[in-house]
Amino acid sequence: MSAVEEMENTSNSVLEEPEEEKGSSEYVEGEADMEEDEPVRGGYLFYRDRKEWADLEPVPQDDGPNPVVKIAYSDRFTDVYDYFRALLKNDEKSDRAFALTAEAIDLNAANYTVWHYRRILLQALEKDLREEMIYITAIIEDQPKNYQVWHHRRMVVEWLNDPSDELQFIAEILSQDAKNYHAWQHRQWVIQEYNLWDGELEYVEELLEEDVRNNSAWNQRHYVISHTTTYSPPEILEREVQYSIKQIKKAPHNESAWNYLKGILQAKGLSSYPGLLEQVEELRETYCSPYLLGFLVDYYEDALETNNNKYNQTETLNKALELCELLAQEKDTIRREYWRYVARSLQSKYGSGEISSPSSSNPTPMEQQETPSSD
Amino acid sequence: MSNVFFHPKDLHKLETKLQEKQAKEEEESERLKKQIYFLKDRHVRFFQRCLQVLPERYSSYETSRLTIVFFALSGLDVLDALEVVDKPSLIEWIYSLQVVPTEDQSNLGRCGFRGSSHIGVPYSTSKGPGSPHPYDSGHVAMTYTGLACLIILGDDLSRVNKEACLAGLKALQLEDGSFYSVPEGSENDMRFVYCAACICYMLDDWSGMDCMKAIDYIRKSMSYDNGIGQGAGLESHGGSTFCAIATLCLMGKLEDKFSERELNRIRRWCILRQQNGFHGRPNKPVDTCYSFWVGATLELLDVFQYTHFEKNRNYILSTQDSLVGGFAKWPDSHPGKITAPVCVCSHEYI
Repeated sequence: MSAVEEMENTSNSVLEEPEEEKGSSEYVEGEADMEEDEPVRGGYLFYRDRKEWADLEPVPQDDGPNPVVKIAYSDRFTDVYDYFRALLKNDEKSDRAFALTAEAIDLNAANYTVWHYRRILLQALEKDLREEMIYITAIIEDQPKNYQVWHHRRMVVEWLNDPSDELQFIAEILSQDAKNYHAWQHRQWVIQEYNLWDGELEYVEELLEEDVRNNSAWNQRHYVISHTTTYSPPEILEREVQYSIKQIKKAPHNESAWNYLKGILQAKGLSSYPGLLEQVEELRETYCSPYLLGFLVDYYEDALETNNNKYNQTETLNKALELCELLAQEKDTIRREYWRYVARSLQSKYGSGEISSPSSSNPTPMEQQETPSSD
Repeated sequence: MSNVFFHPKDLHKLETKLQEKQAKEEEESERLKKQIYFLKDRHVRFFQRCLQVLPERYSSYETSRLTIVFFALSGLDVLDALEVVDKPSLIEWIYSLQVVPTEDQSNLGRCGFRGSSHIGVPYSTSKGPGSPHPYDSGHVAMTYTGLACLIILGDDLSRVNKEACLAGLKALQLEDGSFYSVPEGSENDMRFVYCAACICYMLDDWSGMDCMKAIDYIRKSMSYDNGIGQGAGLESHGGSTFCAIATLCLMGKLEDKFSERELNRIRRWCILRQQNGFHGRPNKPVDTCYSFWVGATLELLDVFQYTHFEKNRNYILSTQDSLVGGFAKWPDSHPGKITAPVCVCSHEYI
């Protein structure tokens, strides 16, 4: 979005210097047509010089007396688009129009009006949609971060009602850029629309084998499971917890794996899982990371929130505060101020009204907790 | 206290050495300055040039030229340098991009602003009814940036046909609460939800969208990792997170529709994006534009103050192009039109 990368951003991808466009074959093979009176440059003829287009009056762009952000188009570019505008104005539905859209797309594949017009022609002229799939495949390979081309593909797949090439095609695009947001978006649409869940978990696992830090793949894992078995069956949840821990051991400093683990558990409350704390504390020695420590903070916070007498609130709070200070001072110093803010918030919400420093001694067993000051 | 007497010859040697040392230090200081200091004048000139002519290799921006104007004007505005532009001319040009109702009002659902003159309708600065054209319609991001530009330029929006814009906007919303960009159909995602909210906010009229449905779309787009994706099930992303949070803020519904616990979780997701600068998704490389998208989100959530200002600033300045002006995605690459103003904005935060 740019993209952006990808995102964020309006109708085009966020790419700055635009992608270099490959040279298209604008030059006709063979000899120049000597019968034309008009000048011919190496075989290419402007539309304005083509006999078969003489009936159409080109329509120039008109930015008025003070154009802004004017793009300095070449003669050739202007010529093609002047004729595109003419076709558009007359709403002409013909083969010559269809052919011209391809040239206009070649010059600027981000022009959504050209694509829309091409779709109208595809239907009006009853064009071969399988041919169109071949065409769009090539364009996407060349410009995989363009919004219009993916939308066009989706439309054609819908018309054909045939997604049979999609998963393989998307996999091919992902093999070049495993995090392409457009590709993943298209993939999720195809799978949901045509019920193609089978085999997707296996595909995700392959990608995670290749790169355990691929956040898109982790996201897809969650997508597949939540739409198929869901995380409700205890054996599924347990399997996924163990899977996450296994991946964490392979690459401890991996935010994606920790986000996944926390994500699948947080709905029921982290502190509701017996044995979880122990498992994570066990990881701490060899596989520590700011994410592990953050997980523990969240665990303790959930325990404080739940407040079900299984825990000593003061001790729990102190543990959480200690971790925040450890993160601030040593383990995640870029977020020093943030972790201190987290500590203050916890203190304010669950603290006993007196300032409790992390290094203070444990309260005697007979000490009663005061009601935490509410926030 | 010693009495120091110098022989003239030694004095001269000392002076020369001192001069050489000074010259070297000045050179080094100049070099560092380019990295350390924000080169305001260069950026102002960069934005001015953007507003003039772009080379053909920028052709993919044709249909969104108005957004380029928005980025340039925003940048100049943040730098307090709007006096360099010809406001009246710009205002006329922007109004020439409005799709106004035709005589018979049959195109109301297509009204709004165009991104440029690429369709080929005759130039007309929003005076009188529109000329009918089978394919002329507005684009939600252009309507948003068009209105924003007019406001930046001090225009009173008196030539904006508000009812038509709102009708055009209504036509773009889908059942799930998200928006198309154009009435002919397009992809739909969080970007256009944000554009729609901006339009309603600027026109001070929320009848242009079903807020409840939009909010529902936003909530459904929250990921298991507490960031927000472009739509339900999609990977959480800095850009879509900004669009979602900013939309709720514009509606005045942020604290209403997300619990404090959820907001804290979103804060955590966002603040983890800082690496030195910011990235847009876990395990992706940083990109200057996210200093804005994520930085702005953090500010809306009241926790930008807890980010590491210096690391962010140093990163942004390392992408600064001291020759041409503007900022690049990464150090040592070419400055971008979109990245630049967003960096200026995020730099201004700090």
